[in-house]
Parts: sequence; C-alpha cells; structure tokens
Amino acid sequence: MLAINLFNGLVYGALLIVMCSGLALIYGLRRVVNFAHGSLYMLGAYLGYSIALQTNFWVALVAAPAVMLALGVLLDRYGFRLLQDRDPLTVVLVTFGLLLVIEDFVQTVWGKSNLSVPAPAALNMSVDLLGTPVPAYRLAVIAVGAMVALGLSLWLRYSKVGLFVRAASTDPTTTAMQGVNTDALSAGVVGLGTALAGLAGVVAAPFLSLSPSMSSDVIIDSFVVVVVGGLGSLAGAFIAAMVLGMVQALGAVYIPDLAAVLPFVIMIAVLIWKPSGLAGSRT
Amino acid sequence: MSNLRVGMSTAAALAAGAAVALLVSSGTVLSLLTQAVIYAVFATGIALLLRQNGMVSFGHALFFGVSGYAVGIVLQLKLMPAELAVLVTLAGIALAAFAVGLVIVRVPGVAFSMLTLAIGQMFFLTASRSRGLTGGADGMNIDWPATLFGVPQSLLARPAVMFMVCWSVLVLVMLLLVLVLRGRFGAITEAVRDNEERARFIGIRTLMPRAAVYALSATVAGVGGLLSALNTGFVSPEILHWSVSGVGLMMVVVGGYKALWGPPLGAIVYFLARDVLGDYANHWMAIFGIALIAVIVFSPTGIAGALQRLFKGRKTVLAAGAVAARH
Repeated sequence: MLAINLFNGLVYGALLIVMCSGLALIYGLRRVVNFAHGSLYMLGAYLGYSIALQTNFWVALVAAPAVMLALGVLLDRYGFRLLQDRDPLTVVLVTFGLLLVIEDFVQTVWGKSNLSVPAPAALNMSVDLLGTPVPAYRLAVIAVGAMVALGLSLWLRYSKVGLFVRAASTDPTTTAMQGVNTDALSAGVVGLGTALAGLAGVVAAPFLSLSPSMSSDVIIDSFVVVVVGGLGSLAGAFIAAMVLGMVQALGAVYIPDLAAVLPFVIMIAVLIWKPSGLAGSRT
Repeated sequence: MSNLRVGMSTAAALAAGAAVALLVSSGTVLSLLTQAVIYAVFATGIALLLRQNGMVSFGHALFFGVSGYAVGIVLQLKLMPAELAVLVTLAGIALAAFAVGLVIVRVPGVAFSMLTLAIGQMFFLTASRSRGLTGGADGMNIDWPATLFGVPQSLLARPAVMFMVCWSVLVLVMLLLVLVLRGRFGAITEAVRDNEERARFIGIRTLMPRAAVYALSATVAGVGGLLSALNTGFVSPEILHWSVSGVGLMMVVVGGYKALWGPPLGAIVYFLARDVLGDYANHWMAIFGIALIAVIVFSPTGIAGALQRLFKGRKTVLAAGAVAARH
C-alpha cells in the first residue's frame, strides 16, 4: 500500500515537473505568473485526445505540443511582449482573462463530460517493480518527467541559447545590450513553456480523465510548487514538485483528512519563513 | 471631500436606491439587482486592498464565504442572538484578518496573490470535505430568526425590501470608507503603497497600516458575505472557491479600482450583462474574459476611469469655450 502510494506520488511529481518547468521558464523571461498555464495544459490534453482519436497516441504526443508551441509563440508576440512595460499584476489579470477564454473554448468544442484516452498498447501492461506490479505507462510518465528535468538543465547549463536564457532572466536589458535578441528569445521560451504545458496534458490524459475541472486542480498544485521552489527557479521547482508528490502520497496514507490541505500548509510555512521561496533570490 | 458633499452624495445614493426599489416592479429584476449589490460590496472589499495597498488578493472569497458559515454555525448551535452573531462574526473576521495580515502582507507582489489563493483554497477544500455541521459539499441552511434588527423575515422576503437593505449597506460601507480614508489613515496607507521604503524613512511604521487595510478589506468582503447569507438563507463551499475571488477581481478591474464607485459599477455591469446576454450566457466566461483583457489593455482605469476622462474632457472643453467667449 505504502509502496504503491509512493510510486503514485512519484508519477504525480513527474507530471508537476513538466508543468512547472513551463511556468518557471515563462516567469524567468517575462516576469509573468501565467494563470492560464493550467488551461493550456487542459487544451493540450484535449488536443491530444482528438489527435489520438484520429491517428494514435504517439502522433498526439508530438503533434499536440507542437501546436501548443506555435500558440505560445503567438501568445508572447501579441500578448506578453506588448504588455512588458505594464505592472506585473495587470499582466496576471490578463492571463486570468485568457484562462476564462480557453476554458470556455474547451467546453464548447469538447463538451463538459469526462473523456478518457487509453494508454498506448505498447505500454498497456504491468511491470514488476521491487515485487509490486505497477502500470508500465506510469513508469513512462516518470521517465518523461526525468527527461524533461535533465534535458532542460543540460540545455540551460551547456548550450549557447541556454546561456542567453539564463542571462536574460537575470537582466534582460543588459543582455539585450550585449546583442542578444531578447524578444525572439522570449518568444521561443514562452513557446517552449506552453509546449511543455501541452506535453503535460497529453501525458496526463491516459491516467487522469479529461474534464473541464482538470485545469484548476493542477494549476493550484503547480503554483504551490513554483512558489515553494522559488519563482523562476527550475531546480527549486523540480525539488518542490517531487516533495509535493511525495507529501500528497504519504498524507493520503497517514493523515487522509488533512492530505488535501497539506500542500497549502507547506506553501504558507515556506513563504512565511522565506518569502522568495526555497531556491529563489528574486521576487 | 467636504462633509457637505459626502452627506449629499450619501443622501442622493440612498434616494436613488429607494427610487429603484419603488419603481421596479419585477421581482426577478430586483433580485438580480440585489445580487449585483451584494457582489458590489464584495468587490469594494477587494478593490480597497488594491487601491490602498497595491496588492491583488486571489483569496477574498474566503471572507465572503466564511462570514456566512460563521453566522450559520453560531445560529445552529444557538450560541447567541442573531444580531450579536452578525457583529461578532464581523469583529472576528477583522481580528483574524489583521493577525493573518501581519504575516502575509510582508510577502511581495505576485507571491502574495498566490499565498492568498492557497489560503482560500485550503478553506474551500476543508469546507467541501467536512461532514456534520457545515454539510460538506451540500452546504448548510442558515436559521435566521423571525426578526432581525427589528425587521421581520416576512418583510425581508419581499424583493424590494431586500434590495433596499443591501443597497443601504453598500452605501453605508462606502460612506464609512470615504470617512476613514480621507483622514490620516488614508494618507499613510497611500504613502506606504507608493513607496514603502521612503515611508519608513520619514518615520511611518509600515506593517501595521498595511495589515489594517487587509483587515478592513476582509471585513468589507465579510459584510458582502453576510448579505448573501441573508439573501439566500444558505451557504455552500462554492462561495469559497477561488473562481469567486477571480470574478470579484474581474468586477474590480472592469469597473475601475481607482474610483471608490468603480467596483460597484463593475458588479452591476457584470450582472446586467450576464442577464442581457441570456442565451449566450453559456459563453459568459469567454465574453467576460475578452472584456477583461480589453479593459486592461485599452483602459487600465476601467469603466469608471473612462467615464471620468469623458466627463473631465467635456469640462475642459466647456472651460476653454468660456475662456474663448470672454475674450
């Protein structure tokens, strides 16, 4: 029982890693806390559902994030870039408006009933993990989370574009003066962040059912993760995502009455202790 | 604002409410307006925090909902008379919000919004899962006594009376805010909002005023929640959900938070628009989402700001005309 719960906590943590790396990247470059990120995740999941229905899951896994990438680039070009001189809190409200529009769009196109996506045939089996049978698909979700975390870390650490991204999140003006096209960079990074939200949606679809409430469930947890980890810090978000997944898994076993509230208790405690989050140096 | 002007505006506002209550005969329209006025009080609370403190709360639904729950529980347990319960609830919200405010207003910017969101969601989840007294996800009925503050329930059941009660409360809340904010307290909170560091340099203690504004704005939201509990006689976890805070914030921004009357205007516009949209109301989320974005992008001061500009613009034109005529 405990082992299964810990495993599921790991799966949820991996999903949160994919979600939150997008949120953290967008925050890093645009200083925008994207309230619509959960809706983008939901949109990715429903897009994936439709694509998987026409073709198969593997096509959806590539195509839905690709569509979301294009959407993210447009969002940056015609949204965040035009609003970059505004007060960050106004931009938050714009993303809240965007959230309403996307939620309405999804409900209009796909309806309000629950939909489900079957796990791909190649992963539709159980694997024996330390004596406990676990669904192979969930194991794959953990792998996706690990790959995203590792890939992003290596990219940011060792590639030239990664260096530009890190520079621009520290000081966009100086970076632009050094000859980096920060607008193009931001468009790319917001696109990447949006694509990651879409990827999280497609990956989540076979083990969480699709419903119009799926966005608000995950966005609140994602906020907890990025705030606890430190806004804009990827490493902080990775650790916080795993901690949150584990806390929920263990909470469900030992203190079921309080399990739903635990993430918030952690968030409140961390923010009061360290207002900029565990790994955050800026606010 | 001079005392005379404040008094005149209050009297005019009360008269306007009475005129609406007397002239509108349709019960449905009146109950729609009543709902709008209740949300106007709620939005006024959210806007107060934004205007005096520069902070966006995504969790004011907490105070909007908790006041109804508190009164409901107290009445259910028959701890005290209803009139006292109302006052104790508001005092309790003010004190609790002040204590919480002392801690959370230190958290800067967007993190504050998320913190309020988390605290609010925590109560939403607790209320929807708890069994027993509060009825969990089903909500609870509130046993209002036969007479409240001397007004019999049978009278309150009439839409025109209910509207007038809520409208008067809204006017009184706004009057109170005008009186409080035009004095030293208003000046101090504005100084702290504009530049906390400089305010500290000139010897103002900045934490207390900010926590006080948070407590005041929470209490105003709580007053709205009490009106809602009185209007429907019922409270359920939905009222605590963060989307309620979001909708309230939307009214504040669309109405315009810089003017005291902007948020109530936003609430009334919201409910009327939702009613007029009728068949399209299924798509109200998209419609209001686009409206919200459009207002923020094109008129950051909201409808109130646009109206003020229009009015001022005409005044300057008139003044210029007068000057030209004299020459």
